[in-house]
Amino acid sequence: MARMKFLCDADRCIECNACVTACKNENDVPWGINRRRVVTINDGKPGERSVSMACMHCTDAPCAAVCPVDCFYTTADAVVLHNKDLCIGCGYCFYACPFGAPQYPKLSNFGSRGKMDKCTYCAGGPEADLSPAEFQKYGSNRLAEGKLPLCAEMCSTKALLAGDGEIIAQIYKERVVKRGYGSGAWGWQTAYRETIAI
Amino acid sequence: MMKPGAEETTMSQKSKETGLDRRNFFKALGAGATAAVAPVAVTPAAAVDPGKEETKSRYRETDHVKNYYRTNRY
Repeated sequence: MARMKFLCDADRCIECNACVTACKNENDVPWGINRRRVVTINDGKPGERSVSMACMHCTDAPCAAVCPVDCFYTTADAVVLHNKDLCIGCGYCFYACPFGAPQYPKLSNFGSRGKMDKCTYCAGGPEADLSPAEFQKYGSNRLAEGKLPLCAEMCSTKALLAGDGEIIAQIYKERVVKRGYGSGAWGWQTAYRETIAI
Repeated sequence: MMKPGAEETTMSQKSKETGLDRRNFFKALGAGATAAVAPVAVTPAAAVDPGKEETKSRYRETDHVKNYYRTNRY
């Protein structure tokens, strides 16, 4: 069974933010929410690197472990999804997530945040596949269409990889061998308890 | 002007009329609440099961996906 993963090749990412824009457009993401963000470290200095970050769909996801209403579930593809009908917007998952993935559409004077929103790996939610209800709550379901997340598919420098973890790890290893360097698979140790040697 | 004792007499008379003393008001309220809660059966909390349909595998290695892998090898 294929295990879905994201891998950002930080040596290729040029911080164009196309993945962020593509995600927002494809999933009709609410105002104020970015399901994916590009983080730049050592900005303007030698050794600057950019990493495109979103929910990494962790093995043994910490968000699911802390959710008081148990609204998270993991699919057979190892994609971590959540049920917005159950979510109470408490914000625990945001504190638990090592990648800052969960986002909330509201911020009122009385602390209500609205239903949590995060990357769904373009795999929709618990509603029927490709139904309008699913799109309205979670965005598109490209996995059901036989495609991969749009952020990765339209990355101009092919920095962001998505798909079967073993295949994308192999692709990354080939790149590192060919060019002679690599800065590792960022976040893999945290999310999947795995590392890819540089 | 009313005498200090006169008002007191009126209040105690009222309590007698309604049958509910000021000092027994909360006692009566508590007993009522207990009576209302008692018949409700305690049901165990059930965790939501997302079901097989929701968690089924959706990933397929279609031509589209194969093309994606091929172009990423460049």
